[in-house]
Amino acid sequence: MTAGERPDAVEVPWSVIPDYHCFGCSPHNATGLRLSFTPRADGALEAAFRLGRAFESYPGVVHGGLIGVVCDEVMGNLIVLARRVPAFTVSQRTRFLTPLLIDREYRCVATLPPARADGPIPAHAEILDANGAVCATSTASYQPFDLHAVRDQLTLDDDEVALLDHALSTANTLSPNGARP
Amino acid sequence: MTTTSADTILRTVTEIAITETGLTAAELTPDADLRAMAGVDSVRVLRMIARIERTFDIELDDADVFGMSTLAEVTAVVERSVAEAAA
Repeated sequence: MTAGERPDAVEVPWSVIPDYHCFGCSPHNATGLRLSFTPRADGALEAAFRLGRAFESYPGVVHGGLIGVVCDEVMGNLIVLARRVPAFTVSQRTRFLTPLLIDREYRCVATLPPARADGPIPAHAEILDANGAVCATSTASYQPFDLHAVRDQLTLDDDEVALLDHALSTANTLSPNGARP
Repeated sequence: MTTTSADTILRTVTEIAITETGLTAAELTPDADLRAMAGVDSVRVLRMIARIERTFDIELDDADVFGMSTLAEVTAVVERSVAEAAA
């Protein structure tokens, strides 16, 4: 599922890079999750997903590592969209309550606690089944970074950095700060 | 940050337990063994813990989560974690 298939989905800043290949959210990565993100009125960010057998662990069960990836992806993009700064994941803890099943509909909802002082940004995520029951929870910390300061680690040229700078500074419709009420 | 009292924590924890288990406040006494109560399985307890962690903005250790059986024990662990977060 791509952002273009969901009219209410928000474009992530990385989408200004024509060939970005993020495993979690790029529509250009055929082996990725292709998540798209929908802002909610309460400041949360949501991604609906259904994973097929390519992501299987035990027969019929989604691989647990992918659950962590989905949560990380939604939390990380909420930070980018709400705080307008890219951030690396520093740590993540995921608790699995029930197995997620192959070819079933789920959604991941990420929230940010109220902004704190300087330091890593904490975030929360939950994976819910079609009935709204919580199947997994995740908490993580993210360290914001300056695109220009990590140029040697990212394969971006000057034009792409300029595009990203502009995309990060451009207003989006996300609720202010994406903070949890 | 203000200190959250044990009574306040117990009250909030009990409200969450009522929501997540469907049991009544009369059944969910502080010393009742949650895992021995009809209709309360490990998944319900984990959902309750997830809600408690979000409500208090804390992260409980797995050893604590799986070692707790009563709301009084949950309250003690939450109280300690809230105090550590505030320190």
